Amino acid sequence: MMLAAVTALRILLPILYAATLGLYLWLFYSDHPTARHRSTQLAAVTVITHMATMVAQTAYLQRIPLESPLEFLSALGLAIMVTYLVIELRIRAKNTGFIVVGMAFFLVTIAEIFFRNRISGNPLLQLPGFAAHAALAILAYTALSLSFLYAILYLILARQLANHSFGLLFRRLPSLEVLERMSIGAIKLALPLLFSALALGHLWMYHLRDTHPELAAQLTPWDPKILTTWVIFLGYLTGMAGYHFLGWRGRRMNMLAVGAFIVVMGATGAAHHFFPTFHKFTTASATVDPRHPGANP
Amino acid sequence: MTGSTILHARTINHRNAPTEVREKAHLGEEQAVALMQAVAEIPGGVAVIPVSTCNRTEIYLEVTEGADSPAILREALDRVGACTDVFFGEHAVVLDGMEAVEHVFRVASALESMMLGEPQISGQLKDAYRLSRLHQEPGPVLLRAFQGAFRTGKRVRTETHISKGAVSVAFAAVELARKFFTRLSDHTALLVGAGDTGSLAARHFLQQDIGRLVVVNRSPQRAIELAEVLREEKRTGKLGDARELPQVETESHYGLVDQRPWEELAEAMAEADVILSTTGATEPVILPEMVHRAVASRKGRPIFMLDIAVPRDIHPDVAGIGGAYLFGLEDLDEIIKGNLAARQRQVPHAEKIIAQELAEFRQWLADLDMLPTVAEFRTYLEELKNKQVGFVAKKESPEIAAAVDRSLQQFIKKVLGRSVSTLKQARTEEERQHALETLHRIFGEDEPDKD
Repeated sequence: MMLAAVTALRILLPILYAATLGLYLWLFYSDHPTARHRSTQLAAVTVITHMATMVAQTAYLQRIPLESPLEFLSALGLAIMVTYLVIELRIRAKNTGFIVVGMAFFLVTIAEIFFRNRISGNPLLQLPGFAAHAALAILAYTALSLSFLYAILYLILARQLANHSFGLLFRRLPSLEVLERMSIGAIKLALPLLFSALALGHLWMYHLRDTHPELAAQLTPWDPKILTTWVIFLGYLTGMAGYHFLGWRGRRMNMLAVGAFIVVMGATGAAHHFFPTFHKFTTASATVDPRHPGANP
Repeated sequence: MTGSTILHARTINHRNAPTEVREKAHLGEEQAVALMQAVAEIPGGVAVIPVSTCNRTEIYLEVTEGADSPAILREALDRVGACTDVFFGEHAVVLDGMEAVEHVFRVASALESMMLGEPQISGQLKDAYRLSRLHQEPGPVLLRAFQGAFRTGKRVRTETHISKGAVSVAFAAVELARKFFTRLSDHTALLVGAGDTGSLAARHFLQQDIGRLVVVNRSPQRAIELAEVLREEKRTGKLGDARELPQVETESHYGLVDQRPWEELAEAMAEADVILSTTGATEPVILPEMVHRAVASRKGRPIFMLDIAVPRDIHPDVAGIGGAYLFGLEDLDEIIKGNLAARQRQVPHAEKIIAQELAEFRQWLADLDMLPTVAEFRTYLEELKNKQVGFVAKKESPEIAAAVDRSLQQFIKKVLGRSVSTLKQARTEEERQHALETLHRIFGEDEPDKD
């Protein structure tokens, strides 16, 4: 029964994300009143459904659904949607919705297509310290993703203005100043979150030595993924120092934000690929394909 | 139209009449008031609302049913010395009944305006309405039509984007600047040239709360004078030449207006976020090397440059410098065209709103037919109640009589409410008419009192 519910919700999720993206695209292209009125409502429905899916998955799998990179992607998609909805409700601007929802749709669809329900997980995943660490990391990466998206929009609009193109993007997008402020604001939000996620991870690791020595044996602070994350943190911190103390602004700063996020994705992917020992909790798992519940690959 | 009054309208506007005809048709405030009085004096005339703007003169007339509305209007116009023939000539458009209502709804929504979606027409209609309320009591149809028009106009402006986007050169310049800087109050504008065009552009930016304005001109005296004038206008809130722009609702911010000598142009450029160039020079005065220096000192912050001089003030090679965004009059023209096309795309949405409001108006009109019969019924019930209360007052104390009066009043309210709601719910017009006739037959004045 629970598996059926989880399966149904997970099939529904990409459809809902696609419908929300369609509505935001319609809004962007036509500014139609129906799209304007319904887009936020559908986005809220999508977020609630996604949250319900995660709750159902947690209940069914008896662990937080953050075991694999795919589960992480899905959670990142949800966090992006939630953050975007908060921003939209605060600044009452919906015109950048298509790009943010587009990214969330991409992440969730990838996650749901390749995802398999794993019934037994690593015991680390059942500890509350992990949940806090993972939640902070997801929020930090969400903020970095939004910073990337707004920096992309900045560069697109700057290009449009330089080319004297006064079309749809010119009319719909907010000013360069606002886009830059949103991109930089997202980084400012990401930095303390990322630092907290790293610090909590380290503290939790030392705490495990006393409470769960057998689990602590799996962990080391010199893991390449942790080191990569520290490098990412220091890179963004340097960028912010340049922004505040050296007056870095405009196209250059936004290109830096885009480049930094590409490096983040590349470095994280490479670390996962070449050093699959840590932050991969799936070694002792059994997998259930939701579309073929009886089959264990 | 209602069974008691009908609406008749005549319009002379930019679509069907040339300027000289519109000038002849124009009705000043005194003539408008005189026309209201004249209509009230003519038998059959109920009320009139004349609306006269630079693009249109329209007369909305309400007369009793069966009255000859054109004859009443002609006589009233003759009496006030207006150019009557214009309103009965080839350029006048005549609208009767619901056509007139639809027209005023469209006018209030700025669908009939020369500049689609312009905001002024709403205020002009309201002024005409207020004037009419001061000097006459409009009939129910005229009153409801204008109130409906204001509601429709408001809905169209808020629920569609028909008024969105700049449609004048000056406002397009501000709109373009706002694509770089949302809060102009945090930024500095540099005006190069202190001529008429430059001062007008500067006024627009000051009205939009630019944080600081620096004037640079070859003749320092002219720059000083203009800066002083602008400073004073900003201080007193009299940026007269820029009146057509809507005021931006931001916190009160008196931008500092300053001037610098021509020799400091390059330094002033480095500090400016917005550069407006409008000199009368025959050769470019802002050269690529000056812009390179300015851009280098700004560490990536963009400079918005608008060259509205003919011949151009800013060297064309500046357009290729990263961080400097150069625009000219042709760009503003393109923005305006794009905005007008976008407004045009909002027309179907606006027309849907108008159709909804017209349907509501039609329903109100249909309900208006019931009023005389319902009034008869109420009178009958009130008389009955007064008799009963009088009877009780003779026999009982005043307190008891007052209690009976209150109780019967409640009873009447409920009976009337139920009757009106039943009449409104009639499935067909015939059924409704039949019910109204029955009510009239039983409770109408010509029926003998059953008491």
